[in-house]
Amino acid sequence: MYRYDEFDKAFVSARVAEFSDQVKRRISGEMTEEEFMPLRLRNGVYLQLHAYMLRVAIPYGTLSSDQMRKLSDIAISYDRGYAHFTTRQNIQFNWLGLNDIPKILSELAEVEMHAIQTSGNCIRNITSDPFAGVAADESVDPRPYAEILRQWSLLHPEFSYLPRKFKFSITASKSDRAAIQVHDIGIQIKRDLSGELGFSFYIGGGQGRTPMVAKLLCDFVPIEDLLRYVTAVMRIYNLYGRRDNKYKARIKILVHETGIKELREGIERELSSLRKEDLVLSREDIDAIFRYFRYPILDSRSSQNSNFRSLRLSNESFNRWVHQNVIPHKHIDYGIVTISLKPIGGIPGDATSKQMNIVADLAERYSCNELRVTYQQNLVLPYVALEDLYNVYNKLVDYGLATANINQISDIIACPGLDYCSLANARSIPIAQEVSKRFSTYERHMEIGDMRLNISGCINACGHHHVGHIGILGVEKKGHEYYQLTLGGDAGNSCAIGEITGPGFPADEIVNAVERVINTYVLLRKTNERFIDTYRRVGMIPFRHALYGKSGKA
Amino acid sequence: MGSLERLEFLEMETILSDGNSKLWGPHGFCENLYVRFDKFEKINAQRAILPLREWCLQVTAIVENMKGRVGVFISAEEDLKGLLQFLSIIPVIALDFPVFTDGRSYSKAMQLKTIHSYKGELRAVGDILIDQVSNMIRCGFDTLEVTHLLTQKRLASYSGEIFSGFYQNGVGLFRSGGKRIWRFF
Repeated sequence: MYRYDEFDKAFVSARVAEFSDQVKRRISGEMTEEEFMPLRLRNGVYLQLHAYMLRVAIPYGTLSSDQMRKLSDIAISYDRGYAHFTTRQNIQFNWLGLNDIPKILSELAEVEMHAIQTSGNCIRNITSDPFAGVAADESVDPRPYAEILRQWSLLHPEFSYLPRKFKFSITASKSDRAAIQVHDIGIQIKRDLSGELGFSFYIGGGQGRTPMVAKLLCDFVPIEDLLRYVTAVMRIYNLYGRRDNKYKARIKILVHETGIKELREGIERELSSLRKEDLVLSREDIDAIFRYFRYPILDSRSSQNSNFRSLRLSNESFNRWVHQNVIPHKHIDYGIVTISLKPIGGIPGDATSKQMNIVADLAERYSCNELRVTYQQNLVLPYVALEDLYNVYNKLVDYGLATANINQISDIIACPGLDYCSLANARSIPIAQEVSKRFSTYERHMEIGDMRLNISGCINACGHHHVGHIGILGVEKKGHEYYQLTLGGDAGNSCAIGEITGPGFPADEIVNAVERVINTYVLLRKTNERFIDTYRRVGMIPFRHALYGKSGKA
Repeated sequence: MGSLERLEFLEMETILSDGNSKLWGPHGFCENLYVRFDKFEKINAQRAILPLREWCLQVTAIVENMKGRVGVFISAEEDLKGLLQFLSIIPVIALDFPVFTDGRSYSKAMQLKTIHSYKGELRAVGDILIDQVSNMIRCGFDTLEVTHLLTQKRLASYSGEIFSGFYQNGVGLFRSGGKRIWRFF
């Protein structure tokens, strides 16, 4: 993974000093909350329902054992002993005192972490494929390019006061595991016919109250033009994005109102006027970043694979876990392990300080000191030798981390909802817990198969309900929590926004409604057909009938 | 800051709340030679700044009577296009920050300085807080017209950039060393 050089270290330290001073000015009263707000947001500090929340950046979801241990320390020393991993591969601490935050930030700086630009109307943490660098199906590791973009966007003088927040996601795989089409800019790295690498730019995707699938802006931007191209896009957005209404300020609205063709022409005009010498990305610059990634050298570990196979045959729970949570690594003797943070009946994405330490230890011992966070709010050990899987599994079992449910119905994405968030209209966590319990058995999970169920507590859609195969959206109606159901959403290559089934359901009915949808699917599906494929084949009508009766009423 | 000092501060702010703008440049506070007018015919000063629309309407009169002494004020939503052909005779361009969260003038500053090679004075006006100063300098602003009292106070003791360099190019910054880092010389 990427290691800071001297400049990176000094830069983050200077930033910590600057923010510590701002906090001091706020606490002394020299600065009003109104003046302080944009500054604290720029440093990842939110004021929530009960306390200050700090969101720490985990660039492209990659972190080391030491970094994970530091996060664990912060959770136990300054918070309530747990933290929450987010859909943007970051981590949030929900119960902090403002006084402690400068100290926390300097502790983070010791392990090369920061909270810069994890909120505010600026370029946010750049997300990527959680399996980047280890997946068998990628054209190149996208993370060095994500790192180049991270550095370029850090305290950018021109793009720090954008109309609204701005999210990049980047993948180099044909199979999109980074949800690039629901980001402001989604980048797919690929090779052209001559083998040259370049970038496909998708623009204007997003969720929130106006969900949109991104449009293709440019099919192939040559590598050396990466920073010129993003500068042109960002400048056009900064100048022409709407600032009169925060709900219309994301770039998706600019794309929608201007039209992709006209917008593309504007961007290309700006591009042609940009001085090349300032922004060109040379081969040497790229090589330098790749060198700072220091890839582990993987030993051949084939000798004892037969032992691994026999353990799978003799231990059914282990076998189920391997089947569901481990995928092939680009090195044949290794596997990529996803650690589920979705225990049955638990809070999606939460991890205790103890669990974080255990995962850090496992990464140190079995996974080259490296961890990943997925946008589905799980953790990944990217380099586990197949013969070590059994040891890893047993350790995970001891700490409640061995739930074998990746990409199944209880692997729920959920926002913190009304239990924490000042924007929420309804609770998300209890609904997630109830869904997870309702379908808790192994048999039920296997019967349902591949499923993405996402829950948001308000229309801002932090829980990605729009792109859940089944989506649940909390709304408030006459002082009561109601839940709207959407079907058919997808964040991957066949990206789609889910369609609303009809009237919403009260809190005590929503899980029954989900069950009716599931039962309808099981009746209608062909052999081995996933829920999403059945939905695409048969459409909404049979589900609507199951939910509301043939008359269409709830 | 102690509570007594803070009280004094608040009183001072009340007294000096409006209209006491100060011009700050690379060598500290400096005299503002330009006076803002909304119409050309109202100008009764040696040097003036007119709104963009009025400047363009009066370009002939300006060239005949006050060439090189009338600057332009460009509001955040206005476009630079109409002005580009006249850049060489505009001594000062004031770009507005109606609220500090409105970042459009940063992009216009970069366009003026890096694409259109504007050689006159580029001035930031409006809602300028100390925490935007670095961004403004890196985007090519030469001067800041500051009304915010705390910003004035902070600028009075400003001792330069706290960062030793940046990850982006900018006006007056030069790439140094092997890494993509830009510094002021």
